[in-house]
Amino acid sequence: MTKIPTSYLMNRAFTLVLTVFIAATLIWIIPRLSPVDPAEIMLSRMAAGGGAVANSDQILAQLQENFGLNDPLIVQYFKYLLNVVTLDFGLSTANFPTPVSELIGQALPWTLGLMILSLIITFIIGNLLGALMVWEHTPKLWKVAIPAAMVFTSIPPILSALLLMWIFSANLGWFPLTGSYGLLVEPGWSWDFIVSVLHHGFLPALSIVVVTFGFWALGMRGLMITVQGEDYTTLAKAKGLKNRYILYRYMIRNAILPQITAFALKIGLLIAGQVLVERIFAYNGMGKLLYDAILNQDFPVIQGVSYVIILMTALSVFVVDLIYPLIDPRIRHEGS
Amino acid sequence: MTVLDLQNVSIDFPTSKGVVHAVKNFTLQIPKGRRVGFIGESGSGKTTTALSAMRMLASPGFVSTGKIFLGEDRTDVLGLSAEEMRQARLSRIAYIPQGAMNSLNPVMRIENQIWDGIVAHEGKTDPAELKRRSEEVLAGVGLEPHVGRLYPHELSGGMKQRVCIAIGVCLAPDIIIADEPTSALDVITQRHVMQTLREVQDRIGAGLILIGHDMGLMAQSVDDLAVMKLGELVEFGSVRQIIERPEHPYTKELISSVPLVGGESFLDPADQPAPSKIEAGAPPLLEFKQVSKVYGAVTALHPMSFTLEGDTPKIISIVGQSGSGKSTMGSIMLGFNPPTSGQVLFEGRDINRLSAAEALQFRKDVQAVFQDPYACFNPFYRVDHALKFPYKQFGYSKSDAETQKAMEEACTAVGLDPSAVLRRYPHQLSGGQRQRLIVARALMLSPKLLIADEPVSMVDASLRATILKNIYDLKEKFGISILYITHDLATAYHVSDYVMVLYHGHIVEAGPPKEVIGDPQHPYTQLLIDSIPWPDVDRDWGSASDARADLDRLQAISDRPETVFRGQVPGFALATG
Repeated sequence: MTKIPTSYLMNRAFTLVLTVFIAATLIWIIPRLSPVDPAEIMLSRMAAGGGAVANSDQILAQLQENFGLNDPLIVQYFKYLLNVVTLDFGLSTANFPTPVSELIGQALPWTLGLMILSLIITFIIGNLLGALMVWEHTPKLWKVAIPAAMVFTSIPPILSALLLMWIFSANLGWFPLTGSYGLLVEPGWSWDFIVSVLHHGFLPALSIVVVTFGFWALGMRGLMITVQGEDYTTLAKAKGLKNRYILYRYMIRNAILPQITAFALKIGLLIAGQVLVERIFAYNGMGKLLYDAILNQDFPVIQGVSYVIILMTALSVFVVDLIYPLIDPRIRHEGS
Repeated sequence: MTVLDLQNVSIDFPTSKGVVHAVKNFTLQIPKGRRVGFIGESGSGKTTTALSAMRMLASPGFVSTGKIFLGEDRTDVLGLSAEEMRQARLSRIAYIPQGAMNSLNPVMRIENQIWDGIVAHEGKTDPAELKRRSEEVLAGVGLEPHVGRLYPHELSGGMKQRVCIAIGVCLAPDIIIADEPTSALDVITQRHVMQTLREVQDRIGAGLILIGHDMGLMAQSVDDLAVMKLGELVEFGSVRQIIERPEHPYTKELISSVPLVGGESFLDPADQPAPSKIEAGAPPLLEFKQVSKVYGAVTALHPMSFTLEGDTPKIISIVGQSGSGKSTMGSIMLGFNPPTSGQVLFEGRDINRLSAAEALQFRKDVQAVFQDPYACFNPFYRVDHALKFPYKQFGYSKSDAETQKAMEEACTAVGLDPSAVLRRYPHQLSGGQRQRLIVARALMLSPKLLIADEPVSMVDASLRATILKNIYDLKEKFGISILYITHDLATAYHVSDYVMVLYHGHIVEAGPPKEVIGDPQHPYTQLLIDSIPWPDVDRDWGSASDARADLDRLQAISDRPETVFRGQVPGFALATG
C-alpha cells in the first residue's frame, strides 16, 4: 500500500527529462537570436585591456573555431546537448579560459548553503506564523504581533540588506560587512573556517528570512482558513482532542501540502532570485556569478547558470513528487 | 433519567449590525435512550441549539441566558472549564457531523482517527488494546476490520458516515448529536446508515438528537419531534402526535411539503398547455444514438438510444442514485462531455460536430439548471448581471430598457419580486431565491430544451415544491421540453411524462411515472421506493440487516441488468442495447 506505483514514477521521471530537455534547447536558441557575437566581445575586451590587438582577424577566426561557431547550427546543437549532459558548458569568455562548470562548481555550494538554509528557516517560521494567525487558541499578543511583522515583507530585499548591514555591521560591529568568509582563515573543514562562514552568512540569511517569511505566512493563512472550516476540524474538536494536537495533526498537516509544492518551485528561483543580496554582501554565490556574467555578456556562464537553475527546479519538483504520495495518501490512488 | 436538560436557553450572535437572537428560550429534556428529532429549515437554529450543549458554537455566538445540564449527575455544561469541556466531548456527548464526505482527516488512517479520540480521553493506551477497540466499534457499524487500515478517500460516502458513527459511540456517551447524518447520501444508503445509527444508539442506551429537515426521515427514525422556526421551539411532541395531529401551521406546512408518490399533485397543470416551438415534421429535438461513456475502466453509461420528438413539450425524468450515470447523461446532452461511442443529435445535427455558428445556436436553444445555486453566480457581480449577460451575448437584447423588462418578466414568472432581487449580490439572497433566478435566467433565453440536474436537492424542503412548479410551468406555459435529472422519485412522479430509472449506467425500468414509480416491477426500482422515508409512523422501514441484505441484492442486479419497459408515451421512444 505504501508502495508508489511504477506508472506514477515513470510519468514523473519522463516529465523531469522532458522539462530539462526543453529548457536546455531554449537556453541554446535564445542567445543565438541575439546579434551579439561572443568572440567579438572577447576581442573588444582584449582591445580595451591592451590597446590594439595584433592579428585580430586571425584571433577572431580562431576563437570562432574554438567555440565551434563555424559548424552548421544542427551540429552545434547536438554538440551542445552532449556537453550539457556531461555538465560541460564550455569556457567562460569573461574569465577566459576557466571552464564554466568550474565557476559554477565554486559558486554553487555557497548559494546552496545560504539560500537553501534561509529558505528552510523561512518556510518553517513563515508557515508556523501563518498557522498561528488563524488558530483560535493563539495568544492575543501574537495575533497582533504577527500581522505587524508583515510590514517587513514589503521592504525590498536590497533595502533590508543595507539596513541590517548598517545596524549590525557598521554601527554595532557584530557581523562582518561583506564576504563569504574571513580573509585570514584558510578554507577547509576547520572549526575556524566553519565559524567564519556562519558568521558571514548570518546577515545575508537574515535579510532574506525577514523579507520572505511573509510570502509563506500569508499563503499558509489562506490555506489554514480553509482547513479551519473543514468538517474534519469540527469533528476533531467534537472528539475532545487537545487543541495543539488538532493544530498539528489536523490543521497544519493538511494546510501544508500545497506549500510543499511551492517550496520545491522556490528552490530553483532562490538560486538566482537573490542576486542583489549576494551582490551587496559580496557573497561569492550563483547570484553574484550570474550578475557579473550579465554585465560582461558572458554567454557561456549565463547559459550554464540558467541550466543549473532549471535543473535544480526540475529536480526538486521531482523529489517532491516522489515524497508527495507519502505525505498525501490521496495521490497514490491517482497514479495507479 | 434525563441525559440532556436545556433550560430556557437563548443564543445570541453579536454582529456589527446588532445582536442576532439565533435561539430564543429553548427548553427541552431528553431522557436516556430516547431519540429526539430537531426539524426546521436552514437558519431555524436547530444545529445551533444542539451545538450549544457541546459548547461548540461558531464564533461570536454565545449562550446569553439559560442552563444546560448533561447526564444523570446533572453536570452544568456552561460552568465547566475549557479542559473539563474537552474531556466531556466524545466521552459524554458525541457529535456526528453532516458532511460525510469531508468529516474525516484525509491524511490519517481510519483507525488512527478512532484511536486519537480514545487516547485524548483515556491517556496512553496499549496499541493492541486500541486495535481491539477500533475493530470492535467498526464491527458495530457493520464494517470489516481491514477498513481501519484505509484512508478516507478509499471509502464510499455511506462507509465514511458509518465510520463517523463508530467514532461517535466509541466511548459510549450519554447523548449523541447527529447533524443531518444522511443528507449527502442516496436513499438506499441513507436507510442503511440511519438503521445502523439507531441500532448502536439502542445498544449503548444513549439519548439521540437527530437534526434534519426531512419529515419522512424523522417519522422513520425518532420518538419525539421538536419543530423549530426562527430560533423558537414552535411544537414538541411524540412523532406520531406531530405527524397525525400537527397544531402549529408551520408544522403542517413542513408535513405537506413532503412530496409523496401518489396523492395529490402540487403542480396545478394548465388547462391549455402551451404549444411547442418545434414544428411538426421537423427532425427530433434530441436523439441519442447508441450513446455510451467509459471513464478508464469504469463504464458510466452503457449504450442507449432514445428519441425525444419535442413537437409536444415533455418532461422526461432520469432517476438514479449517485454514481448511476445520470449526471454523465446530462453533461453529454449539454455537449460538455463527448460520448465514448455513439452520437447525440439535436434537431438532427451531431452536437459534437457543430460549426461555431451552430454551436452558438445550440447554446441558446439548450439551457441548464444545476444543483448548486451557490456556485452558479459570480460572487463579484450583482445577480442581474447573470441574467443580462447571456441575453445580450446571444443578441436578444434590443435596448437596455427592453432587457430590463425581459428580466423583470422572467423574475415574475418564477414568483420573484424583480425590485427586491435584481440589484442584490448572490450572497444576499437565499438558496431558494438563487435557484429561482437560475430558472428565470434559462427562461429569458426561451430555449427549446432545458436540462435540470438535481435542481431542488440543495434547497429547503418547503421551497422545493415552489421551484418544481416554476420548472413545470416552463413546459406548461412556455412550451419548453425538459430533462429532469434527480434522485428523488416522488418529485419525478409528479412532474414527469416519462421516467427512466438508471442503475450503473443501464436503464433498468422506463415508462410513464404512474407505472414505473407507482407500481415498480424491477427489483432496483422497488428497492429505491422502499427506501424512501415516508412521513408515516406505522410504516416498517426495516432493520440495519434488512438494509444490508438489500445492498447485497443490488450487487446481484448489477450483474444482469435488463430493461423493463412499462409503456409508451407519444413523442418519446426508447431503445436499449
